[in-house]
Amino acid sequence: MSKHKKVWLLISILAIVSMMLAACAAPTAAPVEPVEEEAPAAEMVEVGGVEYSTAYTGKTVTVFGVAADEQARLFQKEFDEFSEKTGIKVEYEGNKDFETLILVRVEGDDAPDIATFAQPGLVADFMRKGNLVDLSTFMTDEFLTSKYSQGLIDLSKVDGKIAGVWHNADVKSLVWYPKKAFEAKGYTIPETWDDLIALSDKMVADGETPWCIGIESAGATGWPGTDWVEDIMLRTTTPENYDKWTQGELKFNSPEVKNAFDTVAAIWFKEGYVYGGVPSILTTGFGDSPKPLFDDPPKCYLHRQASFITNFFPEGAVVGEDVAYFYLPPIDEAYGKPVLGSGSIATMFNDRPEVREVMKFLATGYSMKEEAMAGVAVAPHKDADPAWYPTDAARGFATIIQEATTFRFDGSDLMPGAVGAGSFWTGIVDWVGAEGANTDDVLSAIDASWPTE
Amino acid sequence: MSKKRQKLISDILVNGSLLLLCLIWTLPSLGMLVSSFRPRDDVLTTGWWKIDWSQLTLKNYDQVFSGKEIADASMPGGVAKGEDMSQAFLNSLVVTVPSTIIPILIAAFAAYGFAWMKFPGRKVFFIMVVAMLAVPLQIALIPILRDYTKLDLNGTFLAIWLAHTGFGLPLATYLLYNYISALPRDILESAFIDGASHFTIFTRLILQLSIPALASFAILQFMWVWNDLLVALVFIGSRPEVAVLTQRLMDMTGSRGQDWHLLMAGAFVTMSVPLFIFFMLQRYFVRGILAGSVKG
Repeated sequence: MSKHKKVWLLISILAIVSMMLAACAAPTAAPVEPVEEEAPAAEMVEVGGVEYSTAYTGKTVTVFGVAADEQARLFQKEFDEFSEKTGIKVEYEGNKDFETLILVRVEGDDAPDIATFAQPGLVADFMRKGNLVDLSTFMTDEFLTSKYSQGLIDLSKVDGKIAGVWHNADVKSLVWYPKKAFEAKGYTIPETWDDLIALSDKMVADGETPWCIGIESAGATGWPGTDWVEDIMLRTTTPENYDKWTQGELKFNSPEVKNAFDTVAAIWFKEGYVYGGVPSILTTGFGDSPKPLFDDPPKCYLHRQASFITNFFPEGAVVGEDVAYFYLPPIDEAYGKPVLGSGSIATMFNDRPEVREVMKFLATGYSMKEEAMAGVAVAPHKDADPAWYPTDAARGFATIIQEATTFRFDGSDLMPGAVGAGSFWTGIVDWVGAEGANTDDVLSAIDASWPTE
Repeated sequence: MSKKRQKLISDILVNGSLLLLCLIWTLPSLGMLVSSFRPRDDVLTTGWWKIDWSQLTLKNYDQVFSGKEIADASMPGGVAKGEDMSQAFLNSLVVTVPSTIIPILIAAFAAYGFAWMKFPGRKVFFIMVVAMLAVPLQIALIPILRDYTKLDLNGTFLAIWLAHTGFGLPLATYLLYNYISALPRDILESAFIDGASHFTIFTRLILQLSIPALASFAILQFMWVWNDLLVALVFIGSRPEVAVLTQRLMDMTGSRGQDWHLLMAGAFVTMSVPLFIFFMLQRYFVRGILAGSVKG
């Protein structure tokens, strides 16, 4: 019996301890309903160039997003000054399972006040289901156009309603080049597509190889090629056509898409254009493909890849000295300066006055200051101060995004998984394998793989 | 001679293959243990078997306990400290202990009732409880979340205690029923004859006699709740004040999964409590698992 007594003693001690712990932790556990104090006459305070009301002191606004850990810390820090001056408390919750949890919470009537999405498709779904607040109900066009380029505003619209404000962004339309050797050879940065081709020809005439291209990426082999096609699509057709294409309304075997493939082929499959020739496009890992830029003398001079490729550069390579980038030039002037990229957009689920104040704050570049200063993300806002960025490279990304006439997400991320993470990739591989001789077959095969509802 | 030899060979085969299985089974844990002591760059560049003994460090554990070092130019020394594990550890205990005890108590009452009390509909109710075993808890998440929203319970510890209690009850009731119904009828009958009430019998006799079954279920439930991520994510969320250990572990890898050297150390810290509980109660465990298996 005494044995049993011991067990019961242990269990009861555990129970008591846990209750005590619960009691200690309790104040933060319950959703705190702020005590209504006598509202002082609403004063206006200024944070980062915009005025906010102090009438909502003591209110709490919850923000839910994917950024966790060190990025969550920066994000929370960006509200410090705002909260101090307006009295509105902002509680950020970051979770890496955001995409799943936001669905569960909205279904469970437990939506956060504000959520930041990296998936425009999800935002459109929530807007159409009526979960999101149309920001144009309280944000004027003048306010928005003073903060964002028209391209970004258009992209935040769902069926004509403003679904959210952009928080950060990333650029994919970049061409990297070895700065010193490039300048020593007297090459200049191309402003148009014709310049780019002329530059490539000049390099070939000089006995150099212009391009380094590699699309190998284990199970995802082919994706760098899809980025190329998407970039060209944005440069050769209307943004509306691009959207239709990603939604499956514009077929792959349409003239627009075929033209994009042909434009890519004109670089990829041209004799002497690609380091290692066409077979090496298939066999070179995308992370290894920029390495020849850093040889002395460089084995190639141009490499098109997103900003994250700096992580794969050799150790000690300094962006701006050893290597630099330029914006992939436009092809048709009619389509301006389109940019392919990614980003996160802040959306509003609950319409309360204090939430509106926070949304207004999120529309200002000031709400990106800490992240910009840490160099982890680029502010898409017009009023973001370029001096925040720690490097010239990051500053340049911001300029490209702000100057963008059209901003579009990576199309393969928007397409159904069977295509965007399947037949589009393998199609590119087949196409390169045949050196572009089977364009029509490849495009029809991708169309055939588009899932029917 | 040949028989002895045969026996020897079969012994070697059996024990050898068992040893091999054990090795294969423990290899990943060993790899984790080694990785948890290796410096970041080593973990990222080479496999754990290419271990460099002189490089082993406690720095990962230090960061796990005292908070991750985050580069931040605005702080003195250029380094800021992230969240440490202590709050998450407390939260996990606060969630787990009541979520283990409450269902066991209720299930023990229920099991006694089903086993020894006569009331109409007993069979039907019992079948309903057992049928609940087949219902995956995932389908209940959103409806319960809706109810909690109406009751304003979301994000509180009470919410997750109730959720885990509900999800744990069918199995607990079933296991304990099997054990309690197999107790010798004579003991209970003599207690009845002596004038004991159901309550007295339950507290004085049943609970004492069912300790092995209770303890083994306690281990199961404790580990399930301790290691649970899904239910905690849905009902209490991931705010640092309420986030449990599993949630903290997930965050620890960094927003791009770049810090998994910390994950290894963190995982070992997280494992320590279930291991402790298991070794403390393990002598009941096997007995309890067999509970009711040879019911006559």
